[in-house]
Amino acid sequence: MTAAALIMAGADSRQPAPAVETPPVSSLYVHVPFCARKCDYCAFYSERANAKTIERYLDALGRELEMFAPRLKPQTIFFGGGTPSLLGAAHWERILTRFDQFGWTRAAEWTIESNPATVTLDKARLWRERGVNRVSLGIQSLSVELLEYLGRVHSRAQAFHAFDLLREAGFANINVDLMFAIPGQTMAMWRETLAEATAFGSEHLSSYEVIYEEDTPLYERLKAGQFAVNDDLACEMYDALLEAAARAGYRQYEISNFARHTSGDATEYPSLACRHNVNYWRGGAFYGAGPGATTYVDGVREANLANTVKYCDSLETGRRALEYREQLSPLARAGELAAFGLRMNSGWPYARFRELTGYEMRVEWAEEIKILEAKGYGVSEPDRFRLTLPGLRFADWAAELFLRVE
Amino acid sequence: METTHIRNFCIIAHIDHGKTTLSDRLLARTGTIAARDMQEQLLDSMDLERERGITIKAHPVTMMYQAKNGETYELNLIDTPGHVDFTYEVSRSLSACEGAILIIDAAQGVEAQTVANFHLAMKKGLEIIPVINKIDLPHANIPQAKAQLEEIFAITGDSAILASAKEGIGIEEILEAVISRVPAPKPTGAPSLQALGFDSYFDTFKGVVTHVRVFNGELRAGMHVRLLHSDRTVEIKEVGSFNPKPYTRPALTVGETGFFTANIKSALDVKMGDTLTDSKNPSPVLPGFQEIHPMVFSGIYPINTADYEHLKTNLAKLQLNDSAFVFQAETSVALGFGFRCGFLGLLHLEIVQERLRREYDMDIIATYPSVIYHITLTDGTMKEIDNPAFLPEVTYIERIEEPMVKAFIICPNENIGDMMALISEKRGSILQTETLDARRVMLTSRTPLNEILIDFHDRIKSITRGYGSMDYEHDGYAVSDMVKLDMLVNSDPVDAFSCIVHRDKAESRGRALAAKLKEVIPHQQYAVAIQAAIGGKIVARETVSAFRKDVTAKCYGGDITRKRKLLEKQKEGKKRMKAFGTVNIPQEAFIEVLKA
Repeated sequence: MTAAALIMAGADSRQPAPAVETPPVSSLYVHVPFCARKCDYCAFYSERANAKTIERYLDALGRELEMFAPRLKPQTIFFGGGTPSLLGAAHWERILTRFDQFGWTRAAEWTIESNPATVTLDKARLWRERGVNRVSLGIQSLSVELLEYLGRVHSRAQAFHAFDLLREAGFANINVDLMFAIPGQTMAMWRETLAEATAFGSEHLSSYEVIYEEDTPLYERLKAGQFAVNDDLACEMYDALLEAAARAGYRQYEISNFARHTSGDATEYPSLACRHNVNYWRGGAFYGAGPGATTYVDGVREANLANTVKYCDSLETGRRALEYREQLSPLARAGELAAFGLRMNSGWPYARFRELTGYEMRVEWAEEIKILEAKGYGVSEPDRFRLTLPGLRFADWAAELFLRVE
Repeated sequence: METTHIRNFCIIAHIDHGKTTLSDRLLARTGTIAARDMQEQLLDSMDLERERGITIKAHPVTMMYQAKNGETYELNLIDTPGHVDFTYEVSRSLSACEGAILIIDAAQGVEAQTVANFHLAMKKGLEIIPVINKIDLPHANIPQAKAQLEEIFAITGDSAILASAKEGIGIEEILEAVISRVPAPKPTGAPSLQALGFDSYFDTFKGVVTHVRVFNGELRAGMHVRLLHSDRTVEIKEVGSFNPKPYTRPALTVGETGFFTANIKSALDVKMGDTLTDSKNPSPVLPGFQEIHPMVFSGIYPINTADYEHLKTNLAKLQLNDSAFVFQAETSVALGFGFRCGFLGLLHLEIVQERLRREYDMDIIATYPSVIYHITLTDGTMKEIDNPAFLPEVTYIERIEEPMVKAFIICPNENIGDMMALISEKRGSILQTETLDARRVMLTSRTPLNEILIDFHDRIKSITRGYGSMDYEHDGYAVSDMVKLDMLVNSDPVDAFSCIVHRDKAESRGRALAAKLKEVIPHQQYAVAIQAAIGGKIVARETVSAFRKDVTAKCYGGDITRKRKLLEKQKEGKKRMKAFGTVNIPQEAFIEVLKA
């Protein structure tokens, strides 16, 4: 019996089951918490791979997915990490078989995040054969010294090699991840990485500024004064990114995301945009499985314990491994949705926003919209409000304006 | 007790030369307190005092001592604050004595503070008993200490008692010397009671407890007593002494020292140094009274604006025990509502701030300290200004005078050059250079008080690697070319940073403040100009460039809650920002600069 069924059986039987139809959840995120070594900037939960822990994790993951299965009809699947590609072919065989049993292998978009050092042709072929159709390759940089500085396990050569392997295995939708404003990175280094990375000809490009998260070695180096943050340079690098992406034929659809547009209407986003991520910004429901993963279903956000052993312990006794649960008031939820949705170039269509939240954006946030427009950061179009290109650079400020603190 | 068998004395010493240890020894030797009950450093009752090794509040202790001649004497040890900020408190305490024990550390020799306190004791005409302490130390140099006594104080070295308070050496000789050398008190010959109130503390049950020395007549419970300077009459509820805990006595007679209570609600109601006399048959005032005047002023603000009332209550509580501390409400554009506070000196200021933080758990920030300037206007009137905000327009000012101090600095010979450079940097002039011994010299300088407020003492310590010492006494006012320095943010003055400085220093200070402000003012969506101005003239300028983005980082499903919380926090933070024209500056930024 599945956990969901158990819950139903345990419910008060005198109450008739609610007639409201619960729509299926069409997005699934799976967190794979293992890394060969942790990068110096990374604050995500991960640990060194250990055969026994991996076995326990796979079992626990299976149990958790079972709990989600009754409401889950994934159209998008995203394996993130950690380093999902670190799992061996046998592990993947297990996972993919399980997904097949659930009937989830026909997802329209199924992404696996990979590190160039751990991609093999065998694994890539296995993924492709069993329904995975997109790979996100964490290249980050093509400068030898920066890869070392960031504590990445892969080499420059491996980045090129991994990309070729993926193409050889038949992947026609690949994302390349790049980082900029890395301490020590010069404008010349960044331009070179951009030129080489866009020459890969990937379908998608994600690029973001280094974030200094507390409890990371990079943050400690910053605190210790080993380097200073150069905002002006970071800004110029962002300009260079926009320019290089456009020149290489990508369309920006979110602050740090670019994709090719090959077919159909591109009002909302380019055809090869990552649908899984678009679902996040548009406030769609998703399940998150694995340590530290977040679930957002029926307006409730839940986060799993970010500790593999505790995660396993809990699931082994049939309980979900929750760290916290939060449910915002309708207005706070709408504010959050507005704030994060504005990160997309297409902004918020009023009708869509009203449908999702019950709020009329132009009424509830009239003042904020006016402030942003006055600065040239926002523009009200007949059907939508969106941030302008200069405005997208101040999306955090716009988000702050839209949030409703309670 | 017969006046012939009473002695009132105090101990003067430099920090760490052993005053407290000696006091404790005397208490133990006279049986005032059993050795086993002694806490280390008994007389320093505040934690802060103990930590800094200084005594802030003076406690008189009455000891009964059977001398070698078989007679029993009442010895009143009147402890004195060990720091120059409290000069008037020291001088009041000295007024209650006929003699003083002057402690010199056998290893370190005479220090600056010893000199300043010796001058005070001589002014009061006290009999000095020199004690060379710490003779047990391996590097004790007794001949040198004796030579210094002769050279600096003109006291014959042979009159010094050799002691080690720590080892209990010389304690008896000191007690005997107090009896044989310190004169017994003599009645003044006035027609009635004359007593000196020289300190006080606040007791929750009894109200103000005043330390008192009787000079004439006697003080007993039930008497109606006139406080001549405070101009009020009170009924004495209780009199007594300390041993060292307070105990009640039937009366305090001529020459005796102790305390009285009289249902007095606040330390502000009794002026320290006041003369008490019989209300029906009054005697004249005792000499030496001064009104207490704060010398240093600073704004104290709650970091959390909601704490304003709380801060006010706690300042009032501190004042109950510390009549030298004054405060009144003021407002600042940058810091909001707070208080202008007056202190005896920089140490006093630090102590009040530390007590607010530690004992009252308050988050506070203090503005740059200021002294009192005498401003003579073109129409000939004189104004006292302690807050740059109230400095009149330059065109109305005839001249500005600033308070001066005479600073005694003792340093190793090899540091003379650096020390003279420091004094000159601090706009001081050297009045005298004396050789203390083979290693050290004493420089006497006249320096503006304003210049020694900030880092003078720290600089001396660092130049001399800890071997130097400094003390000072107030030395009137001198005409000086002072100007008001304003800091402007996008042309709006930020009042918390305005200060009165010497013209020669205004520019460098302006530059330093502008650079510091540049560091802490967050980038805005447009450039922010920071300027330092004297009158209308800009002397320094920095620009905080506009930032061109606030986001380029990724944000996916798992990041949303954390990111939202971060942004919510920022949003809340901005509500606390102060707007200067179109520039929003967080209060934290001002606090950062003031802390530096």
